[in-house]
Amino acid sequence: MRRRTFLTGLGALGTMGLVGCGSSKSDGEYVADPGSLQVYSAQHENLTKAWVEAFTAATGIKVQIRKGNDASMGHQIVAEGSASPADVFLTENSPAMTLVERNKLLAPLEEETRRQVPANLTPSSKAWTAIAARSTVLVYNPSKLPKADLPKSLMDLAAPEWKDRWGCAPGGADFQAIVAGMLAGQGEQKTKDWLGGLKTNARALQNNIATMKSVNAGELPCGVIYHYYWYRDQAGTKEGSGNTALHYFRNQDPGAFVSLSGGAVLAGSKKPAEARKFLAYVTSKAGQQVLVDSQSMEYAVGTGVTSTPALPPLNTLQAPPVDPFTLNSDKVTTLMTDAGIL
Amino acid sequence: MTSRGIVISDLTVGYDGPPVLDQVSLQVSSGGTVAVLGPSGSGKTTLLRALAGFVRPAQGRIEVDGKVLTGGPVLVAPERRGIGYVRQDGALFPHLDVTGNILFGLPRAERRRATQVGPLLELVGLSPSLARRRPDQLSGGQQQRVALARALAREPAVVLLDEPFSSLDTALRAATREATLTALTQRGATTVLVTHDQAEALSFADRIAVIFDGRIAQIGSPAEVYDAPATPEVGSFLGDTMLLAGQAAGGIVDCVLGTLELAEPATGKVLVMVRPEQVVLGDPSGPTAHVVSVAYQGPDAMVRLNLPNTAARLMARVPGRRAPQPGDEVGLAVPDPVRSFPDSPILPISG
Amino acid sequence: MPASSDLRVDAVIRYDEPTAAVPVVRSTRTPWYVMLAAILLAALVVAPVLVVFGQATSAGSAEASRLLFRPRTAELLRNTLLLVALTVPVTVLLGCGAAWLVERTTLPGPGIWRTLLLTPLAIPAFVSSYAWTSMLPSVQGLGGAVFVTALAYYPFVFLPVAALLRALDQGHLDAARSLGLTGLGAMLRVVVPLQRPAVAGGALLVALHLLAEFGVLQMMQYPTFTTAILQQFAVGFSNAAGSLLAAVLVVLCLGFLVVEVPLRGHARIARLGPGSGQRPVAHRLGAWTVPALAALAALVGLAVMVPAAIVVRWLARAISSGAVEAGPLLAATGSSIGLSVLAGLAATLAALPGAWLLHRYPSRLAAVLERVTYVASALPGVVIGLALVTLAVQWARPVYQTAALAVTAYTVLFLPRAMVAWRSGLAAAPTELIEASRSLGVSGLGTFARVVLPLVLPSALTGFVLVFLATVTELTATLLLAPTGTETLATAFWSASDELDYVASAPYAAAMIALSAPLTLLLRRQILDQR
Repeated sequence: MRRRTFLTGLGALGTMGLVGCGSSKSDGEYVADPGSLQVYSAQHENLTKAWVEAFTAATGIKVQIRKGNDASMGHQIVAEGSASPADVFLTENSPAMTLVERNKLLAPLEEETRRQVPANLTPSSKAWTAIAARSTVLVYNPSKLPKADLPKSLMDLAAPEWKDRWGCAPGGADFQAIVAGMLAGQGEQKTKDWLGGLKTNARALQNNIATMKSVNAGELPCGVIYHYYWYRDQAGTKEGSGNTALHYFRNQDPGAFVSLSGGAVLAGSKKPAEARKFLAYVTSKAGQQVLVDSQSMEYAVGTGVTSTPALPPLNTLQAPPVDPFTLNSDKVTTLMTDAGIL
Repeated sequence: MTSRGIVISDLTVGYDGPPVLDQVSLQVSSGGTVAVLGPSGSGKTTLLRALAGFVRPAQGRIEVDGKVLTGGPVLVAPERRGIGYVRQDGALFPHLDVTGNILFGLPRAERRRATQVGPLLELVGLSPSLARRRPDQLSGGQQQRVALARALAREPAVVLLDEPFSSLDTALRAATREATLTALTQRGATTVLVTHDQAEALSFADRIAVIFDGRIAQIGSPAEVYDAPATPEVGSFLGDTMLLAGQAAGGIVDCVLGTLELAEPATGKVLVMVRPEQVVLGDPSGPTAHVVSVAYQGPDAMVRLNLPNTAARLMARVPGRRAPQPGDEVGLAVPDPVRSFPDSPILPISG
Repeated sequence: MPASSDLRVDAVIRYDEPTAAVPVVRSTRTPWYVMLAAILLAALVVAPVLVVFGQATSAGSAEASRLLFRPRTAELLRNTLLLVALTVPVTVLLGCGAAWLVERTTLPGPGIWRTLLLTPLAIPAFVSSYAWTSMLPSVQGLGGAVFVTALAYYPFVFLPVAALLRALDQGHLDAARSLGLTGLGAMLRVVVPLQRPAVAGGALLVALHLLAEFGVLQMMQYPTFTTAILQQFAVGFSNAAGSLLAAVLVVLCLGFLVVEVPLRGHARIARLGPGSGQRPVAHRLGAWTVPALAALAALVGLAVMVPAAIVVRWLARAISSGAVEAGPLLAATGSSIGLSVLAGLAATLAALPGAWLLHRYPSRLAAVLERVTYVASALPGVVIGLALVTLAVQWARPVYQTAALAVTAYTVLFLPRAMVAWRSGLAAAPTELIEASRSLGVSGLGTFARVVLPLVLPSALTGFVLVFLATVTELTATLLLAPTGTETLATAFWSASDELDYVASAPYAAAMIALSAPLTLLLRRQILDQR
């Protein structure tokens, strides 16, 4: 008797599962649809969805999104090699794109697409393009760190007086890009020393949000993050940022580094024409306006598109003149590994 | 040439090291009951498992009613042998009730009808009211009988019993044994019982095979193996035994108990086998012994004695009422003929 | 003439039955199909691990030794071992203590406690660690990691130990007491040794989970090999550095697997035949009843109530702000159920040949085949996921990005959960019963269906549920391998929480818990079915 009830239960469960699969399948969602453009996106899901919906509305081309994060998705495309089902790859930061580019899996960028983005935000390699940008900022808690005591440069944070007084998320791709910028501008020895200081001084946090919340809670006086996490929280509940303010280093300081989100067409794309069309759309005025309207708080990079008014304009940030496409990320990994951060 | 019953010939089982069974041959006539008796580790369970088909022998054959079950490349699967097997622990299926257990081996249609359960329970001396009990609601003896009923349900030509009574207490053991024997006899099954209990073997079987270290030491009727053991070891294994050095001269032998009559003539140095119940106390003409202790056992008593000027420790089994007191001096006599063996060192039997 | 020469022979030869069991001779032929299946499934688990080793050595030995022999590796090794060394004993203590209170004492309401104590399995560890860090920011570092993982993983010890304690024969305890042991002495010298296989198996599962744990430790800011592997994958341009650390993790795992064998001992649990085991006599708690109840309430409260309360708070805000969309939630729930049911069935079936082989035809090869299936589970899902991408793209292109490959990944990752369940379950179907069935004329397959299956079903169900629960919350391998467009509860939760949006993620977290909680009820059978 007891056995029968539980067998019935198991059967019901299995049926529920199959019904679940079946219903998804009828939506055309459960299996990769060979008729759709395959976009591998590590960008935030809301933004990707906004782009895709607008693109499909404008062109009638159906798009299927595969989501993931920068690192595993980049490695996944490399593992897939030329057999990759991906047509387009969108990232949050440049290193994952560089990983794919080095494995010679990207198709050359179309001239028209490249011209939609200012030259200082386009790659020398011409294999991919910026699709959005984010700026490094120092988030600080004025009650723990008066404005007058703010560091002048990101480099200052390696000094002994900053021991245990700041945080960052050094394990992520975001931060690696910042260090790569530093390496390009300041040279190996200074970067190495700074990383040593980071290892002693900084608390390593899980990600930008955790860093911001720690500062907000007063556990740390300040932290290094990207700008848009703060602006999004400010636009919402302010739960994680209400007690904090942002400090821009400017002056071409390594701390004023601007990181780029990338977009590219895969060399092995089975729908190269549609894929190029998609990337052209994302960087176009219409596409960049979608980014602005999506409230993602990232900077638009398209020529002639104004980012959200809440943000200080990108060209006022005095970012260091670093070509993000020649950043030596291998060296950064080695330096961070040697410093015992990774 | 085919014959009814079980024919085991030259059966050798063993993978690495010394064989567990070494060229064992044994015949059991159809409907007969044989007890395989031996100490633990002598290979008797392995013999049964070979019969049931769970063991692939290194060599030898097993036939039942003229059909080869094991031999050469042939190894008939256990389920195709038609041999019932009742283990020491009963091995009832814990997830089935008594009915489910008894009907387990029957075709589906017969399981549905379930008409056989009542008669089978009665056959093994159990009340049909137990039919819906689960195994853990049964006593040990009941479990054994259900296991037997389960084996008999398929009407096997051969039933193997592996120490089925050993874990039962004395009273239950006798009753269960009797019920089992009755049931088996009614069904006319050829039965092989494995046991290390001498009394059980003697009372249960019409033939006894004594097995030591994987070899058959003697096969015979209960009276033969008890009264006329082939070796001193067999004699000792079947019951308390005194082995005394003696000098034989034809029909008589001289030993510490005096001059005794021999059942079979012998000459020269011999070992005389005297069972405690052969010794009679209170005969003034025999040697006088000193009573060391008396173990009273109800119907009879075991008396331990010393003979003056010897290291001999003797035993006599006497009716309980006539037991002497410790410290008594009594005369000994052995009126009945005794057995003797050629004098050779006695090999201790590994237990 | 000295009398002794007359009477050379000692008069009586006695026979004593030796108490040691005589080894039973069995026909040792292993069915080829069982062996083949076990070998193929072991190969399935080993293949991705070999890919990882291949990538680890791809950078060359100089680079490998540079990456391996540096202070950071020592730091990670120390951190990882410290975490295991502290958490495993705590889970053993919590699991055994709770099991003893519930199964062997007069504690009120054992049925309710049995259920409540298993529910932490329904709470994703990353949800509970988020709950704790958001409530008490000081819960972090080694202390926080031990705290959260011990609360999340103690049921892996509680479950088998409670089942065994329930099966415990009072006869053993009585015998020990009659031999002059105190109650505590009997506990230590009789009960504890009998519990060894259960405790060792549970502790092994906990240790393997700790090796592979990522989300909790990341949140606790406690770096271990697994967090370092994920960072290397995040920033590295080749898989070499991450794979190298993963290879070290595999070696650690092998170490645990070897250590567990002697720890487990050879206690046999199943009881057959004459007399059913006596039900254990409950220990009277008396004045200790209230403290005992308070202790269990605290355990359940910390492990379940706090995270559940946080999720409920999010959920309430999500509902009031109208952020709950039924459509996507239902779709994700359907996908999660579908994948998890398939993974549960696949892993439970896949674990059977190895467990069966070891149970019925024990040999060195069988032992190796069983142990091997644990290796991949110590690795983070992303490592196995990427290795399977490589393998599938090269050798099995048609299954790439189909549910089949995702289910394969879950099977590889969660096989030990099913294996542990089978191993305790098969002990309930001893060879004697199988032989009894054969001698009653039932073939091997029929015997499996009519004797083995009914007896091991509760354990098979346990394995199924444990794999199901793990699959519901699996994220990294799912992202890599699930069919494009498939949204599971875990990936939807991740997308929302990645967007900083814990209110939007709340319905998915709540759905994961709601889906998992009833299944933990099924695990009780594993305990209750003990005779």
